[in-house]
Amino acid sequence: MLAAFDNKKLYSNRSRLFGVLLLCVLISMSMIGWAMNVDPAEQNLSAVLMPPGAEYWLGSDHYGRNMFARLSEALRLSLSLAIICVLSASTIGCILGVIAGWYGRWLDNGLNIIVNILLAMPGLVFVLLFAALVPGSFTAIYIAIALVQWVEYFRVSRSLTQSLANSPEIQNALLLGFGRVYIFRHHLWPTLRSPVLTMAAFGAANAVLYMASLGFVYVGIQPPTSELGQMIVELFPYYGDAPWLLLQPLTMLALIVLAFHLIAGDKR
Amino acid sequence: MGQLIYNRILQLLAVVFGVGALTFVLMRSLPGDMAFRIASSRYGQDNVSAEAAEYIRQELNLNQSGISSFFSWLIDLAQFNLGNSLVSGQPVSDIVSHQLGHSVMLAVAGLALSVLIAFPLGLASVKWQKWFEPVAVVFSIAVRALPVFVIGLIFILMFALYWQWLPVAGFDTPQHLILPTLTLAIALAATSNRIVASSTRQVLRAPFYQFSMMKGLSPLRTFQRHGVRNILLPVVAFIGIQFITVIEGIVMIESLFSWPGVGHGLAHAIFARDIPVIQGTALCLGVMFVMLNTVVDLLCYWIDPRIKEEQ
Amino acid sequence: MRIFTTALLALMFVFQANANTPPSKSNTVTISAAFEFANVDPSSSGYIFTRMQVIETLFDVDNLGNLLPGLALEATPNSELTEWTITLRDGVRFHDDSLMNADTVVNSLNIALGKYGSLGKVPVKNIVAQGENKVVIELSEAYKSLPAVLANYSNVILSRASYAEDGKVVNLIGTGPYTLFEVTPPHKITVKKFDGYWGKKASIEYATYLTGHRGESRVLQAISGQADIALQLPPASIMRLKMNPQTDVQSYSLPRTLVLKLNNAHPYLNSVKARQALSLAIDRKGIASAVLGTPDSGTAQLLPRSMSDWYLESFAHPESDIHKAKAMLKELGWTENSQGLLQRDDKVFELSLITYADRPELTNVATALQAQWKKLGVKLNVSITSSSSIPAGHQDGSLEVALIARNYGVIADPLVVLSNDFSAEGGDWGAMNWSNAEFNQLIKQLNYTLDADKYREKAQRAATILATELPVIPVSAYTEEVSVNKRLKGFHFDPFGRDFYLSDLEF
Repeated sequence: MLAAFDNKKLYSNRSRLFGVLLLCVLISMSMIGWAMNVDPAEQNLSAVLMPPGAEYWLGSDHYGRNMFARLSEALRLSLSLAIICVLSASTIGCILGVIAGWYGRWLDNGLNIIVNILLAMPGLVFVLLFAALVPGSFTAIYIAIALVQWVEYFRVSRSLTQSLANSPEIQNALLLGFGRVYIFRHHLWPTLRSPVLTMAAFGAANAVLYMASLGFVYVGIQPPTSELGQMIVELFPYYGDAPWLLLQPLTMLALIVLAFHLIAGDKR
Repeated sequence: MGQLIYNRILQLLAVVFGVGALTFVLMRSLPGDMAFRIASSRYGQDNVSAEAAEYIRQELNLNQSGISSFFSWLIDLAQFNLGNSLVSGQPVSDIVSHQLGHSVMLAVAGLALSVLIAFPLGLASVKWQKWFEPVAVVFSIAVRALPVFVIGLIFILMFALYWQWLPVAGFDTPQHLILPTLTLAIALAATSNRIVASSTRQVLRAPFYQFSMMKGLSPLRTFQRHGVRNILLPVVAFIGIQFITVIEGIVMIESLFSWPGVGHGLAHAIFARDIPVIQGTALCLGVMFVMLNTVVDLLCYWIDPRIKEEQ
Repeated sequence: MRIFTTALLALMFVFQANANTPPSKSNTVTISAAFEFANVDPSSSGYIFTRMQVIETLFDVDNLGNLLPGLALEATPNSELTEWTITLRDGVRFHDDSLMNADTVVNSLNIALGKYGSLGKVPVKNIVAQGENKVVIELSEAYKSLPAVLANYSNVILSRASYAEDGKVVNLIGTGPYTLFEVTPPHKITVKKFDGYWGKKASIEYATYLTGHRGESRVLQAISGQADIALQLPPASIMRLKMNPQTDVQSYSLPRTLVLKLNNAHPYLNSVKARQALSLAIDRKGIASAVLGTPDSGTAQLLPRSMSDWYLESFAHPESDIHKAKAMLKELGWTENSQGLLQRDDKVFELSLITYADRPELTNVATALQAQWKKLGVKLNVSITSSSSIPAGHQDGSLEVALIARNYGVIADPLVVLSNDFSAEGGDWGAMNWSNAEFNQLIKQLNYTLDADKYREKAQRAATILATELPVIPVSAYTEEVSVNKRLKGFHFDPFGRDFYLSDLEF
């Protein structure tokens, strides 16, 4: 896993470097906002929907709040929550998927039955129930989303592992006496890495968008906190009057996805 | 194969019981007085009061203990009776078939269209890597990072307002299905085409593939015989999962296009603490999930018989 | 399996066309609003079916709140106002061709009495039929506003065939100019013209109501022409609609008000000065213009100008003065701490506000309020829950502040709503832990004051008490924006929300 971030490979691959740079730009933007100490919740009802200018770098929203401050707070919040979400989902999913696909037979069946009961629990019901159980907590919702997302990782890694487990390379390695962990690192992971990292990149964006779709049905709103998904829903009604406002969180999201996707890399 | 079916049936029973119990427990542990919640959904937000809550408490016998109501639900279930909604009094099977039916219709149409879009895109980005791949990647990222309702909005602005070809919202005629399906398909195809592309690339690079071309088979033949099946494997698995997540994830589309599906209905039912509807919907979704898994597993076995042998 | 065959069949039925001349764009008027309905029972969903003119009540209401004859011609009380004799209209037929007479009316009213509804709050002793066309309602106490309550949607008159044995409503067979054609809860209703209507017959053959969940969706439907009438439009999109050549945008003031319900026993809120300070700190002008899009709707009183008996000219221009507010709180012992928040005895002035998601403007106003009170030094935590948590919070005493949108016109006579909301024990949607002896006295007297001048005098006094003591703090009045397609003639709007006046429309 860490091989992908080898120094040599990092700098030798230009697009990956670009992705890391992009991520750094986003992180520094969120840090600048924090350092500037402008209150993202301060309203000015006589200066609503101002276009970008000297006082409001990125304009002001429908309450007259500073968009730059709000975006940087949103970046901090959503980025960290999305990363937590994706890390937990992918780790659980891959580990369980590889175990299920590799050991086969009893372990696979057993795991399958337990897992399927959990999986059969419809994700939306789960997330909504979680949100209702712990009202007023973004973390709870993101964790619930992780508990929904791990399905994808499980399925894909299980099916890939299943077919790979019978391949000549693995058979050979087993015969030669290599341990399972070694086989995972050198044979399974390279195959899994590409689809898994692709899913992770989009999974992060997915988590934020899930938050937005919950906001669309008025779940999980907590004024005045700025969260990327909620901001998208909040600014949606102004797509005609002030499209530059809606474009901002959308662009942020697209940049995050782009950054992760570039870092994930794609083997050419 | 028989073993698989037998396993799946066991699984089905376990799922029914498990999902039912889990939803029940979760719902009962939610904060807020149930009677009040049901009243607000039934009588309208303005019309809720303590008297309404008391009336509902008496009518629906909400003081019944948890265990006994769970068991009466199980007994009803054995007779295929999903009960009645606490809010409207309508039979849950009607509500679920109305909502789930619409969601399934949208999901199936959207998925089918997305497959039709994703495969050519994925294959093309492998074949013409130099100039098509960047286009496909940009398209994928752009679409994937956009919330679905923005895509829907763009389509509404284009097709319903500017060109006036299609209706904005509603659910009566086939024309009403087009825009939501298109929106969903584009959103789904954005991810699946990448999976298709990476899977294709892996297969094309695989030794057995190179070998069969060295053997003398033309590229087309090689693709037909060796490529397709191997490419399909992870893609089928992915699409299978997409289906279930799609049904739940189309909340935004349903809200925007006034499509009466499960996402919107579930949000309302949970707000209203309408336990029978939640349990009924969760159950149907769970059952659908198991059946879908079975289908996907069968497909995987058909594509890659080696899995069957190992078992 | 049965579920799946039902699902499959349901899918097929969704696209099935209907028998007779089906509704199409040329013969149907389409309405889009945010209402959803649970079923066809008038006690729960009557408000949508009266609007679609399928069912009617004994009395109607005009735009100013005056009662008009509906299915009944007049209501005559005895001198103590404890017995009302209602004279019914002759020759009214239900949609199933049966005749409306005193027996069917008594049946409908008794069933409504047994369910949860507005009639339950009236001290009814007995409802009997007297002859073919008179109904006598006996009350256990004097009640002036009975006819106004009878105009409420839960007290509609249905034919006997609409009810099952146990009083459950299985079919909606009413008396209106339109009859139910197709109903798909919770989103869609289609009604068809009824030629046997007793009054002015409709001209447009069909009408369809479709729920448009989001305001933006309703606006798009209005622009594209898919919806002829679109209601409850969000302020952000009004400009675009006004510029559209096909639509006409109209504004109507409603008897609905945004108010802050307070727990008057809360240690921070239990003095009139504190409440007045909080009210002074609200920038109503800013909220009205920036958040609601209706620049002059800020108000410091509960009822709108149209209810002239209760409207106080002296409170017509609410002031906003944050320095004065701070000074008032200082007099109560609050001092500003290092973070700019008010503190007293080591406790920060912190309150929690609940509101509900059904109306998006509530969330927006709550967010604005949060920032405004922060300037004052009050920390407001906003939580968005269901509307039912407000009566629930009132009952168990946990409510601190709530932002609600109260419809003071739900019964045509505001006295009914006010006496329920501000009764001696308070009301779920009214005062909490507040009681004023003079006010209670006035309300009681108003219930049997028939002289118009005396009524106005007492009402003005009662309104003054409410506006000074502020057991609830009004924030803004409601203005509804409606878009009407230019192909319709004869549209008019009912601010009391009882009727879409479909029968007056023509192409």
